[in-house]
Amino acid sequence: MHSDADSNPSPLLAVDNLTLRFSSASGNVVDGVSFSVSPGETLCIVGESGCGKSVTALSLMGLLPMPPAQITAGSAMFDGKDLLRMPRREMAAIRGNRMAMIFQEPMTSLNPAYRIGDQIAEVVLRHRPVTRKQARARALEMLDRVKIPAAVKRLDDYPHQLSGGMRQRVMIAMALANDPALLIADEPTTALDVTIQAQILQLIRTLQEETGTALIMITHDLGVVAEVGDRVAVMYAGRIVEQGSVDDVFIDPQHPYTLGLMSSIPSLSKREGRLTTIPGMVPTVDTMPPGCRFAPRCPFAGAECKAAVPPLTDLSPGHAAACIRAPLEAEAHFDGAVA
Amino acid sequence: MSAVTTSEKTVDRPLPPRAPYILETRDLVRHFAADGSLFGDKAVVRAVDGVTLGVRRGETLSIVGESGCGKSTLARLLVRLIKPTSGGILYQGRDISALSEREMRALRRDLQFVFQDPFSSLNPRMTVGAIIEEPMRVHRIGTRAERRRRVRELLARVGLRPEFADRYPHEFSGGQRQRIGIARALASGPTVLIGDEPVSALDVSIQAQVINLLEDLKEEFDLTLILIAHDLAVIRHMSDRVAVMYLGEIVELADTDALYDRPHHPYTQALMRAIPVPSPHARDMVAELTGDVPSPLAPPSGCRFHTRCPHATELCAQKKPHLEASGDNRFVACHHWRSVADSAAGLSEEPARPANAAHRLALYRAWTKKQGQNPATQSPTDQAPTVPSEE
Repeated sequence: MHSDADSNPSPLLAVDNLTLRFSSASGNVVDGVSFSVSPGETLCIVGESGCGKSVTALSLMGLLPMPPAQITAGSAMFDGKDLLRMPRREMAAIRGNRMAMIFQEPMTSLNPAYRIGDQIAEVVLRHRPVTRKQARARALEMLDRVKIPAAVKRLDDYPHQLSGGMRQRVMIAMALANDPALLIADEPTTALDVTIQAQILQLIRTLQEETGTALIMITHDLGVVAEVGDRVAVMYAGRIVEQGSVDDVFIDPQHPYTLGLMSSIPSLSKREGRLTTIPGMVPTVDTMPPGCRFAPRCPFAGAECKAAVPPLTDLSPGHAAACIRAPLEAEAHFDGAVA
Repeated sequence: MSAVTTSEKTVDRPLPPRAPYILETRDLVRHFAADGSLFGDKAVVRAVDGVTLGVRRGETLSIVGESGCGKSTLARLLVRLIKPTSGGILYQGRDISALSEREMRALRRDLQFVFQDPFSSLNPRMTVGAIIEEPMRVHRIGTRAERRRRVRELLARVGLRPEFADRYPHEFSGGQRQRIGIARALASGPTVLIGDEPVSALDVSIQAQVINLLEDLKEEFDLTLILIAHDLAVIRHMSDRVAVMYLGEIVELADTDALYDRPHHPYTQALMRAIPVPSPHARDMVAELTGDVPSPLAPPSGCRFHTRCPHATELCAQKKPHLEASGDNRFVACHHWRSVADSAAGLSEEPARPANAAHRLALYRAWTKKQGQNPATQSPTDQAPTVPSEE
């Protein structure tokens, strides 16, 4: 089996074989997922709806209701402790403190009834031995750092008085208020316009350089991956199908699902003819195929693919794919079709 | 079995000759009353504020802009789902801006709409068959049996099984529902199809399927397509011409390649710079615009973009630039386009794919095509409907 250990000597977070199911479904929603993140590093987890990327993040934060969710195997070591087996109280002490998360929809993750200054101050008060006044000063400092104009005046605003981009800045201010070692961002710019997305991504990058926070960026957008990621894990139907440095995965993509995603995106620079798509749909948790979960949609699949789960195997140091056909051109049979 | 015929003729679509306008707007304005302060005057949202635009028969024209720029309002005005405050809308030369609801009803046969959200635009209490049949029933097209047959043909044409006519919308995934919405829009035999962000709610792989479907249908049914979208890559792929909107006005209108290769308006340039390109060797994304789009309740004076424009001068704050021809069938509303245009050539360029990536993508393409031609393999969504698992 693939291990991240060699490429990542001292990870901040090391997830190993995370396996998770919901009591209502027969299959695993997350099935044997392993990855790690080092201080200052950005890992992107990319995949489409239902691939398990958000559920993975929520389980690390202890935010999945259990039941119905149930972790059946794996570990997630953070600061020498397993997040998956942590008592509720201990998790609450870490969350928002050593580890924080920002979500896609800032309107629903901010409390509409409280002023934003108070919401940020509360996060500080909860984890730090400070006075109210100090916490409020910290809130102001954070609003400045996320470049909210006229921050002093904004402290007393309610969330609805801010634009979507500003709300996302407030979420980031709140998440970073206690200098977390790890920040998880779940599609933080998906609901925003491109020009605002560019501002927020640039802000996240700047703050990360300043603080050395490790970042897990969950996204569906390969453009965002190329822009902010150091390493990337491509997820499909609950499993990581390819993992490596962003350069490796873009320069030398191996898994047919990665190729399918790349060829589904129209090019900004010219029309390249008809788009090549991935036929069919993502399987649901109740209809997970045996063996490789991508096999029913994969043009290269054969009987062997459906017989056993392909292990995530290193093809070069730090670059792994879960496909028994990789590298594709090694099989002359496939290569013949191009001409 | 349904079969999705993948016609290859749309591969590299030549620009259509300058066909006559099928749909035109003349100084079109739509204001909405906003909740004013308790004692003050009613505030007015200037959603669409003086748009003059012609859509040529057979072309795909895209309207692009950020939230609140008025693009969805413009789309709804074009098919008269809402009435303009002032200005004209001409369909095949006839002014339809003041037609009564009854007079409009006949025209709706020609002008059809595909909505963004496939979850809220289909009546959950109607079967898929009834949803697709409804436009034919309203327009008294065919006998009952003929309509039923047409429903099954349309379902097959959009890549769904004809038996799905008896099922309800909730049984389908987002991509399948969007196909149902498209089948419904085609049922009355329209000439113009307007899509308001028809693929933006879909995952990339499903989005690509629906893009291909729309392109095939456009060819097959001889449609004029108007797309409202915010994804500049999707727009480049699908459009012949593009109109860029900002705060209720068109700021640039050009042929697609010209617009992307050399955007003239500073706002178009900023939009392109902001796009993260899916390649680690591409230019870095640049957040050139600071702040948010100003409120359409109180648009800035002069050029509405001057408050965020890196090239703005005093003139821009005082004098409103009009949409003027800037050669090559292009129109731009900027006082400074002559000096600004050159600063942004090649913004949309992506570096060539690295050799390994290019080779494997070619393999993927070749084998996907091969599988698609094999009649034994399934057509795209030809599988039992499932309750979609949304994250």
